[in-house]
Amino acid sequence: MTVDRQHAAAPSPTSPIVRWFAGWGRAYRITLEHAGALGLLTWQILVSVVRLRVRFRDVMTQLYVMGIQSLPIVLVTASLAGIVTSQQGGYQIVSTSPRYLLGTLVVQSVVLELGPLLTAIVLVGRIGARITAELGTMVVSEQIDAFKSLGRDPVAVLAAPRVIAGVIALPLLVGIADMVGIYVGMVAANLDGGLGREEFLYGARLFWHSWDLFYGFSKAVVFGFVIPLISVHMGLRTAGGAEGVGLTTTNAVMFMILTLLILDATFPPLMLQ
Amino acid sequence: MITYRGVRKSFDRPVLRGVSLTVETGEMFALFGPSGTGKSVLLKTTIGLVVPDLGDVEIDGVSVYHGGKGALDAVRKKAGYVFQYAALFDSLNVFDNVAMGLPEAEMAKLSKGDVARRVWDVLENVNLEPHEVLSKIPSELSGGMKKRVGIARAIVGRPEILLWDEPTTGLDPINTAAIERLIHRLSAELEVTSLLVTHDVEGGLQMCDRVGMLEGGTLRFVGTPAEFRNCADPVVRAFVDRQAAEAALDTVETR
Repeated sequence: MTVDRQHAAAPSPTSPIVRWFAGWGRAYRITLEHAGALGLLTWQILVSVVRLRVRFRDVMTQLYVMGIQSLPIVLVTASLAGIVTSQQGGYQIVSTSPRYLLGTLVVQSVVLELGPLLTAIVLVGRIGARITAELGTMVVSEQIDAFKSLGRDPVAVLAAPRVIAGVIALPLLVGIADMVGIYVGMVAANLDGGLGREEFLYGARLFWHSWDLFYGFSKAVVFGFVIPLISVHMGLRTAGGAEGVGLTTTNAVMFMILTLLILDATFPPLMLQ
Repeated sequence: MITYRGVRKSFDRPVLRGVSLTVETGEMFALFGPSGTGKSVLLKTTIGLVVPDLGDVEIDGVSVYHGGKGALDAVRKKAGYVFQYAALFDSLNVFDNVAMGLPEAEMAKLSKGDVARRVWDVLENVNLEPHEVLSKIPSELSGGMKKRVGIARAIVGRPEILLWDEPTTGLDPINTAAIERLIHRLSAELEVTSLLVTHDVEGGLQMCDRVGMLEGGTLRFVGTPAEFRNCADPVVRAFVDRQAAEAALDTVETR
């Protein structure tokens, strides 16, 4: 009997290689699980939209929260992005290239990259974390079960309005962020390096393609879809009380930022070749 | 009539190991058992909030899990569910919380005045003063009031089945007795089939026509309250004695 107990308590003889493969297998399984659940959620949202089960009032409420309430922080972020790009670009350009190229640099940086990505990252913190925590709390306090028990569809009432609002709000915010970022960048170039408005705009127009704007807005639409989708998905998977809500929210923020950066890296080969 | 046929469910470990039980139409049935034995899980399988790994649940002869989404929707319309901690929607006031209990199709047919009347009547029915609570949000209510609003939400749609998940948990003995009287009165007045999951053995024995005890994921006992009181099964006896001791301790602490 004693011998049996000793055997039972002995550490598993699994080799590091097996553990390494097991770790990868687990990560692969979890990734597939998330991908499958996200695909299913997307399908359910599409179905509820097509069947007109999403209330206009719920979408407007979410648009207010995501769009209007996010505006101040988006404006601050865009202004700072414009200033920093202008100052650092000026530092690089001043002794090597014509000064009007600063206009090119600021406009291209803001429209192609900083406008969509920084706005999306701001929304991850402000909206994504909030949605995950809100829905996670509803799960652990059985409010989602209550929803279902009353014959209501959580996807049509809670998920779809947030995703629709994200797809609409983020491009609008990115449009505003682009304009503010470029304008503040132009002012900063003038104050910092004495670059006139005409010179700045000449440089901006020199390498401008309308496609760039389409590219930036395409990113915004995709990011606007992905942020609420992941945050809803993670929120609805919450388990384990207050600690579970905290853990899920942290994981959701990491998941969203990582996804945004991966998607951001896939855009150039897809759309700028 | 609610029929559970060999319901099995596992999470990290097996919780229900093949539960079969029938609750007759109009009957009031209490389900006892130690914590973690799957009472709430079994209750949730009734309306698809937890899906069994194996087995089925039938409501009036219609399968919940093999009848498609239509069957599940129909079951949810028939049933009112009272959650352990009320599960009121935080962002909605009492009026909107209770009005959510009206089926969507019915809600569309009712005028705003009719909805307000239904909500008002049902709040009075659970012994709340509608003019005092209607505009309050859940965080402004006491524990007992939240439970009553939860009950109002469950009955406003005039269900045929009421599922009660630990409705007296977290309440003091006075509120517990008041809620139990309310459960008993509503079940009789509304002529519903009631399945009550509770820790309060004495309350369940007084209110219900039949009782059952879940232990280790299986039904250890099913019978009348009198049979339960006289049951010689040592596991049942140990559970009853433990519950009686805890109830006595609660009463002393409250005094």
